[in-house]
Amino acid sequence: MSESAIITTNNVNLWYHEKQALQSVSIKIPRNRVTALIGPSGCGKSTLLRCFNRLNDLIDHVKCTGEITLDDENIYAPSTDVVTLRKKVGMVFQKPNPFPKSIYENVAYGPRVHGIRDKAELDRIVEQSLRHAAIWDEVKERLNDSALGLSGGQQQRLCIARTLAVEPEVILMDEPCSALDPIATAKIENLIERLKEDYTVIIVTHNMQQAARVSDYTGFMYLGRLIECGKTGQIFEHPKEELTENYITGRFG
Amino acid sequence: MAEKFHTELNNLRADTLEMAHLGRFMLRTAVDALIRQDAELAASVVAQKEEIHQMEVRLEEHCYHLIALNQPMAKDMRVIVCTLKVITASLRIGRYGKVIANIVKEISDKPHIANLMSIPHMADLVIDMVDDAVAAYESDNLRLIDDFSSRDDTIDALRHSIFREGISYMMEDPKNISRCTHYIMVARYLERCADHACKIAENVQYMETGERVEIH
Ligand SMILES: Nc1ncnc2c1ncn2[C@@H]1O[C@H](COP(=O)(O)OP(=O)(O)OP(=O)(O)O)[C@@H](O)[C@H]1O
Ligand SMILES: [Mg+2]
Repeated sequence: MSESAIITTNNVNLWYHEKQALQSVSIKIPRNRVTALIGPSGCGKSTLLRCFNRLNDLIDHVKCTGEITLDDENIYAPSTDVVTLRKKVGMVFQKPNPFPKSIYENVAYGPRVHGIRDKAELDRIVEQSLRHAAIWDEVKERLNDSALGLSGGQQQRLCIARTLAVEPEVILMDEPCSALDPIATAKIENLIERLKEDYTVIIVTHNMQQAARVSDYTGFMYLGRLIECGKTGQIFEHPKEELTENYITGRFG
Repeated sequence: MAEKFHTELNNLRADTLEMAHLGRFMLRTAVDALIRQDAELAASVVAQKEEIHQMEVRLEEHCYHLIALNQPMAKDMRVIVCTLKVITASLRIGRYGKVIANIVKEISDKPHIANLMSIPHMADLVIDMVDDAVAAYESDNLRLIDDFSSRDDTIDALRHSIFREGISYMMEDPKNISRCTHYIMVARYLERCADHACKIAENVQYMETGERVEIH
């Protein structure tokens, strides 16, 4: 991978209590590209994703070693401000989780927390974020309605808009489409394609076709290790490792 | 689900092998008919044209069906791509058998000139190549095809020598023209069959390793 990396991990190990969930994972995440993480359930995809914005810190008895840098700065350094880190590295979860507030408030929440008070400025951010998340046209007439009244696919795009509102550099998505129907999924996939112009996207998915469709790079994980990472075309046409080959052709998993 | 797909993929390969064997059989039989000047044997080859054509249609459909329903990836995808090429190559080889069989009918009235020159020998070499390419497809054994480039050179050289020899017989006696023209055409068809064997070999290489190679 010769592209410039925005996130680099070097020999990352992670334990939950005694149980090791990541084993010397070294990966480079190219900037302004979509990287997919695939692998059987329990192989550590979500764990690795959560390392990138230190969400694992919130879990008890987690021990992490190794180095993770974002823009060449060690995110586990004592000087790192976790709030700023999570602003730079946003996350979208499997189940859409809008706040039980209006559509507008869901998107305005982050910028407010980060100190933006000006109404016109908030309006601008809300509109732009909703546009970027390809949901503006569907909600612009009802910004004050409850977000919980939206369909699952709309809620997920609203959550993406909420993430975009704080202007992150990286967006982590953990199975963002697994609760959505094919049409809502297609909308999110189209959105991911556009997002990479301005952001770096890392997506965990169980759907191999989805990984193949949306990503530029794919990493295959197995039992806490990164087995292989490369251009998506190469991984799905002729992976180097037999383990990868067997997994993506459904011979185990 | 994956298991069912892999069973179907194995069946597809087995059926494709059967088609490849039929194509090879048509070519071998046509050459035998030519050597023995056996018009009846030649007619049996022509009669198989319909069968191999139907196999092609059926197997291609099976490939498309498997792609549409399973979105195959990695080796599975490469197996189907290779299989499609084996299907096409086998059809062509069978059709060249038919074309040679048609020639037998036209020239079985008089004895061969110069014992068909090197045609029988060339045919043996070509059919060996077809056999090895198809066996490589069957067994994933790349060693069977690793010398295809030089074997293909030999075939080209033989075609050229048959061409020159044919011309010299034509110059000796214009009554040889029609017969020798047929020989030259047969050599040309055999050379094309070797090219199809090379195509199969290239695709078996891709199926096994993911690398695209070109055999000249
Ligand atoms: N909070 C936790 N406490 C203890 N163990 C955990 C915790 N979270 C994950 N694990 C364990 O760590 C390993 C990796 O889990 P992780 O959730 O990262 O896998 P995953 O690849 O995301 O799986 P899935 O595809 O099922 O989401 C698993 O063995 C899991 O049981
Ligand atoms: Mg997970």
